[in-house]
Amino acid sequence: MSSNQTSYGATFKHSPGFYILSRLVVLFFMIIIIFPILYTFSMSIRSPETVYSAKFFLIPEEFSFQNYIDAFEYGEKRLKVSFPRMFVNSIIVTSSSVILIITLSIFAAFGFSHYKFPLKESVYNIMIASVAMPAQVLLIPMFYILLYMGILNTYQAVILAYAGFLIPIGILILRMFFEQIPKELSEAAIVEGASDFQLLTRVLLPLAKPAIATCIILLFLDTWNEFVYAMVFMQDSSIHTIPVALAKIGTSRYQISIGTYSAAIMITVIPVLTIFAIFQRWFIAGITMGALKH
Amino acid sequence: MNLKFNYRTLLYLFPALLIFIVFNVLPGMTSLVLSFFEFSGFETNLFQKFVGWKNFIKISNDKYFWIALKNTFLFVFGAVFIQTGIALLLAIFIFFGNFKYSTLIRSIIFFPCVLAPVSVGLVWKKIFEQDGVLNTIIGLDFSWLSSVSLAIWLIITVNTWQWIGYTLVIYYAGLQSLNTELLEAADIDGANWRAKIFSIVIPLLWPTTILNMILNLIGGFRAFDIVYVLTRGGPAHYSEVLASYLYYYSFAAGGPSKMGVGASIAFVIFACIFSIAIIRVIAMKRINK
Repeated sequence: MSSNQTSYGATFKHSPGFYILSRLVVLFFMIIIIFPILYTFSMSIRSPETVYSAKFFLIPEEFSFQNYIDAFEYGEKRLKVSFPRMFVNSIIVTSSSVILIITLSIFAAFGFSHYKFPLKESVYNIMIASVAMPAQVLLIPMFYILLYMGILNTYQAVILAYAGFLIPIGILILRMFFEQIPKELSEAAIVEGASDFQLLTRVLLPLAKPAIATCIILLFLDTWNEFVYAMVFMQDSSIHTIPVALAKIGTSRYQISIGTYSAAIMITVIPVLTIFAIFQRWFIAGITMGALKH
Repeated sequence: MNLKFNYRTLLYLFPALLIFIVFNVLPGMTSLVLSFFEFSGFETNLFQKFVGWKNFIKISNDKYFWIALKNTFLFVFGAVFIQTGIALLLAIFIFFGNFKYSTLIRSIIFFPCVLAPVSVGLVWKKIFEQDGVLNTIIGLDFSWLSSVSLAIWLIITVNTWQWIGYTLVIYYAGLQSLNTELLEAADIDGANWRAKIFSIVIPLLWPTTILNMILNLIGGFRAFDIVYVLTRGGPAHYSEVLASYLYYYSFAAGGPSKMGVGASIAFVIFACIFSIAIIRVIAMKRINK
């Protein structure tokens, strides 16, 4: 890939106009992308007295972690959900949803890819079509279904709602992957006397690791950052997830200093940023692969 | 590979299908039916009061519904054309620009995509405030998000800021699988870089452009979080989109709690997506002919 890229670059190398313009445009967009986050970070580490004075908008005059302490206190006193609790809530919801969706999608994708049955493609096409529907369309009836089931205001409410919404994506990606695996491999396993379950667990799943990784990344981002279902189906503040609690801080009637506000945002941004920094290649590859499967 | 269908196959398919039906198909269908009923969120039987087209007549007489509809289309327009257009040029500049750190550059432009739209909205909300840094930089004293005409465009800008990297990495994948022969031929003919980009690269990327436009179209209809956090649909309801107006009618604290009306707005969103899907199928058939 890299040798390819240099040969591409070569066709544009001798155009100074393109060379300069590309630097200017890319630099401009890098600044636009980085500045807001850097600015929020800078705000969060200024001492409350020097919040509005900084060199070049970004370099604080006086460093302080007081805002982070204030943000933790604000969460506990005003929101009735502390930051550690929000993280626990988000981790419970995200990990249960992802595990549930991936497990069920693996089995269903195996059914779709390795068996023949009536209405197979119709059912599959309905699932794929549902991916385009915005989640808000289901909001009102879903609220009542969860109410009648008696699980409104519990983790299960949001986990099942996410599952109903995201299972089609899991099946889509895994079915495509299972069908790319050469048929001969499955046939050989069956001839060797493997049951269909063994075919799935011993032959297909070990090969499907990249597809499963893609699913985990896509589902993690969708569930960790999800806002409207989490807000409407879990109104009890002690089980708020991070986006819901953060939105409450940001749109609250109570006075909150910009330093504390910024610190609250950074507490939620830094962990995601760290995970992204470690797995960035996976994230970008996973997102691209997920998009190309549509 | 076609294994023989047996009872275990049902076990493989059943759990996923059950959850999909109960938590996706059923609420989807119910939502369409509910738009013909009146209920406020306290009844136990939602289907008691059939009101025919009343909810639809109500929204059609509601000035803010039409603003929300217009804003939704502006949002979709911004995502489909502005976001795709900027990402296309950016991808070409990064790809052909021979940057030493092109992977790092892509990661940086991509990273807002992994953040929650709620966090992104809150970051920008402070920037746009009257005593915010935007006014400090350009030396104005203007309350950006309180502007009736500007608010929706600012939301669209923030949304573009967050998702431009998503469109960019998909374009980048398209560029990496581009056929080099035409570019090499153009080099031999001595074509300049503008001609190469506009007559060769962009036309060759057309399938990727279509894919990006479809993905951004779907994403445009979905936007809710960023509107909720930045303006809550305000000032008045001038920056409302369909999804946020649905929420306002059905669930918002201090809102009217008219869920039937909310369901009729959901019906409108459904109808938009459905007509676009049909147009897409017809267009595909024409192209394939």
